[in-house]
Amino acid sequence: MKTKKLLLFMSVTLAVILLATPFLMSCGPKVADTTKVLKIGMMTPSTGPVPEKGIPGQHGIQDAMEYINNELGGAGGYKIEVSWRDSAYDPAKVATIVQDFMNEGDILFTTHSSSEMKMAQGKANEAGFPGLATFISTMNLHPAQHIYGPTPDYGDDFVALIKYYMENIWEGTGKPKVALHLLSGSVGAGTLDGANAMAEELGIEIVATEYHAITTTSEIESLTRIKALNPDVLLISGVPASTAIIIENAKTLEMYPGTTIMCASASFTKSLVDIVTAQSGADAIEGVYGVFHTVSWEDDAPGIAKAREYCQKNHPEDYGNMDYLSTWATCLVIREILATAVKNAGYEVLAQGGAAAWKAVEEQGIQKVKGYDVEGLQGGTITYTAGDNRLDNYLRIYRVTNGKIVALGEWEPAPLIKYPQYGDE
Amino acid sequence: MDLPAGTRNHNYAEDMSIFRTKTHWFLLIVLLVVLFTAPLWFGNYWLSVANLIGITIISVTGLNILTGYCGQLSIGHAGFMAVGAYTSVVLTTRFNLPFLAGLICGGIMAGIVGMIFGIPSLRVKGFYLAISTIAAQAIIIWVIRGWTDVTGGYAGLEAGPASIGNLILKSQTAEFFLILTITIIAIFAAKNLVRTRVGRAFVAIRDNDLAAEVMGINLFRYKLTAFFIGCFFAGVAGALLAHTNRLASPEYFAFTNSVLYIGMMIIGGLGTTIGPIFGVIFFQLLNVLVTKLSPALQSAFPHLPGGFTSGIAPTLFGLAIILFLIFEPRGLAHRWQLFKSSYRLWPFSY
Repeated sequence: MKTKKLLLFMSVTLAVILLATPFLMSCGPKVADTTKVLKIGMMTPSTGPVPEKGIPGQHGIQDAMEYINNELGGAGGYKIEVSWRDSAYDPAKVATIVQDFMNEGDILFTTHSSSEMKMAQGKANEAGFPGLATFISTMNLHPAQHIYGPTPDYGDDFVALIKYYMENIWEGTGKPKVALHLLSGSVGAGTLDGANAMAEELGIEIVATEYHAITTTSEIESLTRIKALNPDVLLISGVPASTAIIIENAKTLEMYPGTTIMCASASFTKSLVDIVTAQSGADAIEGVYGVFHTVSWEDDAPGIAKAREYCQKNHPEDYGNMDYLSTWATCLVIREILATAVKNAGYEVLAQGGAAAWKAVEEQGIQKVKGYDVEGLQGGTITYTAGDNRLDNYLRIYRVTNGKIVALGEWEPAPLIKYPQYGDE
Repeated sequence: MDLPAGTRNHNYAEDMSIFRTKTHWFLLIVLLVVLFTAPLWFGNYWLSVANLIGITIISVTGLNILTGYCGQLSIGHAGFMAVGAYTSVVLTTRFNLPFLAGLICGGIMAGIVGMIFGIPSLRVKGFYLAISTIAAQAIIIWVIRGWTDVTGGYAGLEAGPASIGNLILKSQTAEFFLILTITIIAIFAAKNLVRTRVGRAFVAIRDNDLAAEVMGINLFRYKLTAFFIGCFFAGVAGALLAHTNRLASPEYFAFTNSVLYIGMMIIGGLGTTIGPIFGVIFFQLLNVLVTKLSPALQSAFPHLPGGFTSGIAPTLFGLAIILFLIFEPRGLAHRWQLFKSSYRLWPFSY
């Protein structure tokens, strides 16, 4: 009985300590923070259904930040401290992660997929917490609020691919028939937005719109329906693994060669080439077109040498991967944004974290960056234009040639598209 | 109810009371004080985790009524959450209904849809019923994705924050109090429900539906009632999820979530009120632990394959389900019961 009372006493004492702790902690002098860093939060879907995108993206962040902090001296003289989280592509997890970023004093956050950003942007926009989506959908940027894209969006991917097709491949008369194979979710929806808004103007006919799941294992059925319509173009907007399945199935159905296969940016990377080559042989992916927002690994852009060096040193398995290069470029954009914000608003404002720092990063950083060329890794220069939260608006078409992703021609501008369904006038 | 040695019930009220002794009341008050003062020492991140735990507890409590008490296996619970979420968001954003009305209507609509998909339960049970509830999940999500004019399709619907009258509950703290209150109400409702005539009918159906029918229990009526109540809880949870995340999107209500809810229920303990609480807390904290730990592990062991450390979360959860099924099929709730019994009889707990 005495022990029972003792246990009760201990429980009460514990409860009192727990209650009193926050009050006691608020008393006494604050300890000065001697580590002067700029804290940002970055998430990648390194597990879950798209690790083939998330892991190279994660490695790109690690290596780019090592380069920025060790060789470029951080941003504005302050090292950048990254809180990295694996979102596992789980919507509920994304919502708590973005809250975690806000809570720990991060002044900016990034996602590596449009779906992650879709789940994060409700809270982030409400709080005014600025975010960058390395891969973005139209729905992330419309209406323009506190979320920005360092690159064009999936609607722009569609326009760039079709424009290229019309100018360089199409030799028939009338309107070419285009079939869309879209990933269920924000990736496919972004491409569809572009198609709905621009198909008429581009002079094409959308003959089929099929959807696939991120975990799809066969699309023979949907491709059989598409094949019956005899399309000139099969435009796939998915992730590498799902796109690989569709390309392999198209080959099985002997749609290719014959129908031109084009891939949107979310899938067009080394992982796609590797998966298809491993499962169906190199010729199954040979000649497939794609669009992307950075240079390729074969280019001679000024910034590519460092990306190659760090990738080969730390993560040689990612060499040639566009997701790696994409997050590398995004990290350089972030550095420029933070350096601009430090210059315009001062470190002390940013170091506080919270709403004032977020406002400063957005208004004195993101919106004040002008003409930054991302060491030549992207087509345009990073510049904010009011009403357009895409910070760069250039894309380039690529083609798989001899198992490598090879650029075709010059960078193409991606002018802002008006989407009436999102309230654009 | 098990009582400490020397404590006897002298009337019906005492027999039925949930909090019988002074110790019970004392511990309840301490628990409520700790819970309602949690924002004082929890940061916003932990509040957001707590909010997710609360919402999941409401949903899994509903599933526990349906599956744990009434024995009707449902693997489409996330789909019913989606019905509640979209109903509430549409009513509050397009018809300007108050949040609480949207919340209740979301629950009712999910309950009605649940009843419709529960109709086959009269003819089929076990695995066959499970398949029909999987169909419910698939159909609901398909409708949401396709009915773009109403649901926004893949883009989803933006949801406003929860509000009561003129009080807008936007902060994590405000949302925490709202979710905590609704979670407590849900748990007490479930606790009381299973002690009523309806609850006993559920248990009779679960244990032997033929015997229950012979005793005069209307199987069809009670099975549909279980579907309505279980899915009502899911609908309320779905509505809370949408309003706290400011978005109703089909991606929140994936099939894997429906399966995970079953896993949480198994780990917590089927057919007990406290089981869903234990199961959900166990799973969500495991998830948080791995999310927090994986960057450190990744740095400590850089030569591990990419994503390996964070991939241990699903592995651990799967392992936990297997181990619980083998060594403690009655879940954490049974361990808790053993602990309480041991405490009551201490030092003679032989």
